[in-house]
Amino acid sequence: MVLTIRAQPWLGTLVEISLDVSDDQAFQSAFAVIGEVHRCMSYHSDSSDLARLRCSVPGATVTVSPHTVAVLRLAKWLFEETDGLFDIGIGRKLVAAGYLPRMDDRPLFHFSGNAGDIEVFDDTHVCCHRPILIDVGGIAKGYAVDAALNQLAQRGYEYALINAGGDLRHIGSAQETIGLRRADGVVSHEIQIANVAVATSSNFLSRRKNRGRLASPHIGRDLTPLLVDTAITVLAPECAFADAMTKVAMADRALAEHMLNIVGGSLFVIPMKEDTA
Amino acid sequence: MINRRNFIIGVPVALTAASLSSSAHATVYFTEAAVRKAMFPTASQFIDRSFTLTPVQIKSIKKASSAYVLKNKVLVWDVMGSGGKIGTLFIDQVYGKHEFITYALALGLEGEVARIEVMDYRETYGEQVRNPNWRAQFTGKRYGQPIFLNKQIKNISGATLSCIHLTEGVRRLLATKALILTA
Repeated sequence: MVLTIRAQPWLGTLVEISLDVSDDQAFQSAFAVIGEVHRCMSYHSDSSDLARLRCSVPGATVTVSPHTVAVLRLAKWLFEETDGLFDIGIGRKLVAAGYLPRMDDRPLFHFSGNAGDIEVFDDTHVCCHRPILIDVGGIAKGYAVDAALNQLAQRGYEYALINAGGDLRHIGSAQETIGLRRADGVVSHEIQIANVAVATSSNFLSRRKNRGRLASPHIGRDLTPLLVDTAITVLAPECAFADAMTKVAMADRALAEHMLNIVGGSLFVIPMKEDTA
Repeated sequence: MINRRNFIIGVPVALTAASLSSSAHATVYFTEAAVRKAMFPTASQFIDRSFTLTPVQIKSIKKASSAYVLKNKVLVWDVMGSGGKIGTLFIDQVYGKHEFITYALALGLEGEVARIEVMDYRETYGEQVRNPNWRAQFTGKRYGQPIFLNKQIKNISGATLSCIHLTEGVRRLLATKALILTA
């Protein structure tokens, strides 16, 4: 099988699409879907749906893209299922720790809401009942992969693989070899997959000092940053879910395993060294 | 003068480091000919407008784009269709994590970004490939784990590559076009 691979910068990373045909139209339409998701849900943009939600008056209905609604619905469901652990209202904490830039002059305590304060009316209308600083970094890359892959599947492609900086999903009959990175970035394991999504998260390399304390982009139940030396790889039918479950597993592995059992996924913990396994 | 000498001595050291750590594999997405054809399928001619930036121009680009100008050679083509110019094509390089990413930037007639395609990218298998202590692991068998270093793995999950340099590169090329090509 001869693969054609294309890569474009989207979602703050390199998005790579592999197909077994060399059809520029197919690549362009798949990248267009990813670009649309990027424009809807970019935290850094002033014109994204997230920016409009950030600036909206609490209780006011905001018209957003169906993509945004799909991500918000999934995020709300995850918020409820994980008892508040997975919360896209994490933007406030990420700004405080210096992972995200401050987008306006309002103080961070103004954004008191969490994912439970979002109400979804229909496929294009939502409202936030409290001001909330939404960041969908833990879920939207996976969603973009799903959306683009579904579009390729609808067009009838039997083989496709999309890798958005490590959040990837595959369709096809043959097994594909995927390298898994350890938390320090070294590729230490490989797995064979077919028709499944894979997401890996770690925070060993993304920690930073914030006011003398180590911060990481993953926050636990007790609101302290999680400092986990292992990398967590999740296999699930959908990439958005796999992406989110890596974050849940950082804080509560048993809960993540329980949720993955329901959808038919699995979870690997990649140790830093062999002897600490 | 001293600076220049240090720089020359520095080059072989860097090359040795690169050849010791054969820990990266290059993915080539596009060749130059292929990227031209893909980005401008209707083009009849590519007129080479490549040029070398003067120090003054480099300074002005840096100021306008707040992006570091790594190379003074700018590879740029005017793309001609049947009815005249239809766009501009840049081919440029930025740093990824440790290695260069080559990418092509297509601009429309108004100077707007029409398309960005990555042409080649070298995936690194370890964050510390440049660190001599990390490389020394290969001499012993204790940490025999990174066993895939010379093997081709097409896809890797984990450790998101940040594309911040690519964004900077595009900003720099847009400034180059605005300040120098249209001036």
